[in-house]
Amino acid sequence: MKPTEFSACHELEALLPAYVERSLPAAEAERVAAHLPNCPNCQLQVTQLRALSDDLDAALPEIPRTALRANFMAMLEQQKQLLKPEADVPAPIQAPVQPEAKVVSMWPTAVASNWLRVAASIVLIASGVFLGRNLHWGNAGNGNVAATNPEKPAHVELAQALNGSKSRTVSASDRIQLVTNSTKAPQADDNTVQVLLNTLNFDPNPNVRLAACEALYRLRDAPGVREGLANSLPIQTDPNVQIALIDMVVSLRVHRAVPQLQRLAKKADALPVVRAQAEAGIGKLI
Amino acid sequence: MAAVRADDLDQLVPLFERYHGPLFNYLTRLTNDRELSEDLTQTVFERILKYRSSYQPTQPFKAWVYQMARNVHADHWQRQQKMRTADVDEVERTGGLRGAAFSHMQVSGSHDDLHEALNLLTVPQREILVLNRFQGFGYEEIGKLLGCTAEAARVKAHRALQALRKIYFAN
Repeated sequence: MKPTEFSACHELEALLPAYVERSLPAAEAERVAAHLPNCPNCQLQVTQLRALSDDLDAALPEIPRTALRANFMAMLEQQKQLLKPEADVPAPIQAPVQPEAKVVSMWPTAVASNWLRVAASIVLIASGVFLGRNLHWGNAGNGNVAATNPEKPAHVELAQALNGSKSRTVSASDRIQLVTNSTKAPQADDNTVQVLLNTLNFDPNPNVRLAACEALYRLRDAPGVREGLANSLPIQTDPNVQIALIDMVVSLRVHRAVPQLQRLAKKADALPVVRAQAEAGIGKLI
Repeated sequence: MAAVRADDLDQLVPLFERYHGPLFNYLTRLTNDRELSEDLTQTVFERILKYRSSYQPTQPFKAWVYQMARNVHADHWQRQQKMRTADVDEVERTGGLRGAAFSHMQVSGSHDDLHEALNLLTVPQREILVLNRFQGFGYEEIGKLLGCTAEAARVKAHRALQALRKIYFAN
């Protein structure tokens, strides 16, 4: 009987887990039950399996740290952020295609906002002037910018430097520096004013024109400045320069600038904010 | 999950609450490394988001997410194998240290014989036991997940249990 018993054990071994689980079909369960009392080895196995099963059931689940949740939430937020632009993108594609380019005005018509823009441009100009005054960047060896030639009158030198004497062109920032420095000279005369007015009217760079504008404002008591500013109004096309000029003629109370302002207020190609500014200027001057 | 699929990502939060614990457990039992399992669990949820469009609403979320977790684990396993072959020198140099650390771990972890025994099983055996015993998977579900019949899953689980018994009661 020994060999058959051994083979029976071997065969039943595979059934024992199911027997412990009570998931064996009745016929097989009976076979195991009949075998067990005679077989200490299989009894041991069943006991062990039961113990193991209990231990497995009793095993405590591992608890993840809270960092896992935090990481997940961070990741979710990130994904949501990524999703937002994605969601926005398809909208214009689905919408009927607009044939002509839409011009988005950088100057909204709300008055409060306009004044904010004006204030910002003035602040920009002021900070430009401030930087120009405080940055000592002309080194001694750089003759065309800093050095003053005593033999020539200041205005000639300035004009030459501005126009880029000899084949040399002067950069816009250098020209701003020159223009700003020109008003520091004590002997600012008519000719300096004339050079500055020329710069204001004809310099290709709006920032240089703005600097000339500021320089002229500092020379406001010199003859010809007020007139020159007023005459410059119709020439200017850059809105920043236009607004700076309007502010200046208003604060200097240049009454003869009114016709120019009226023209500017009606000028079709001027920005709405410039026209509004001109209107407001007229209101203050009249 | 259908809502998540439709880009309502907030709907993933309840799913995370329900499944991150079990998934973390599953991965911890498989890898025996809590820190790694946190990373892998995070990866699972990252993939859920990434592949949310591939989720079929007819399919049970549980099966889908565990399939994902299995893949994450398999990927990690493969990467680990590659790394191991890459830095054999490193392992050789630190081998002594590792041995010391390992014996220390055995001493400190002796109270948890069951987990140690589990870790001595092969990964497929361990996985099937973890799914069956810790994750509450029926044989039907395990069969689907592993790509075999429920009956085959049951047999595999019983073999794994017998193997575990032998290890557990070896001493």
